[in-house]
Amino acid sequence: MNVFVIAAIAMLAGVIPCGIVACRGTVMDAVVAYEALSAIVIMVLLLLADGFRRSGEFELAVVLAVLMLGSGLVFARFLERWL
Amino acid sequence: MRSVLADICLALAVLVVLASVVGLLVMRDTYQRLHFVTPVALIAPVLVGLAVLARSGWTESSFETWLALLFVMIAGPFLTHATIRAARIRETGDWRPRRERPRAGNGDQP
Repeated sequence: MNVFVIAAIAMLAGVIPCGIVACRGTVMDAVVAYEALSAIVIMVLLLLADGFRRSGEFELAVVLAVLMLGSGLVFARFLERWL
Repeated sequence: MRSVLADICLALAVLVVLASVVGLLVMRDTYQRLHFVTPVALIAPVLVGLAVLARSGWTESSFETWLALLFVMIAGPFLTHATIRAARIRETGDWRPRRERPRAGNGDQP
């Protein structure tokens, strides 16, 4: 276990407060928590891929980063009027 | 030397993320909470990218890391703006200040 894996595990602890906000807050609070959560999970995936030296797993983080923008905008757009 | 730099960057990234999520948890409303997404989406990715770069140099994996982090850094401000706009529209019906909104039956005239 190297420093990248340790950093990934420590960063993963940040998911818990985001989950609490998503579960207990309003719908808009949940979207905010989701945005923070997405950024954290992308960094965790990158750190784990680098920590375990698995070059194939970087692509998962790249795809998730692209989807983060699209999904966040879809949530924001729907929450403006319809949800 | 490079591994020390990587360690420092990673420690700072973890601190930024943990401090931001605590802020996200304790703030009162959506507008205040949104301020704490910015460090997670802008500062921490730069630190993680620097750590990977310090450890591996310019390799294929560090290029992919920076590509993913670039998307996160671009998406962060866009999503913050879209979310704050959505929150305001949900709250007041329009994102503009009340005095700048078009009146009913008056076209687009303010």
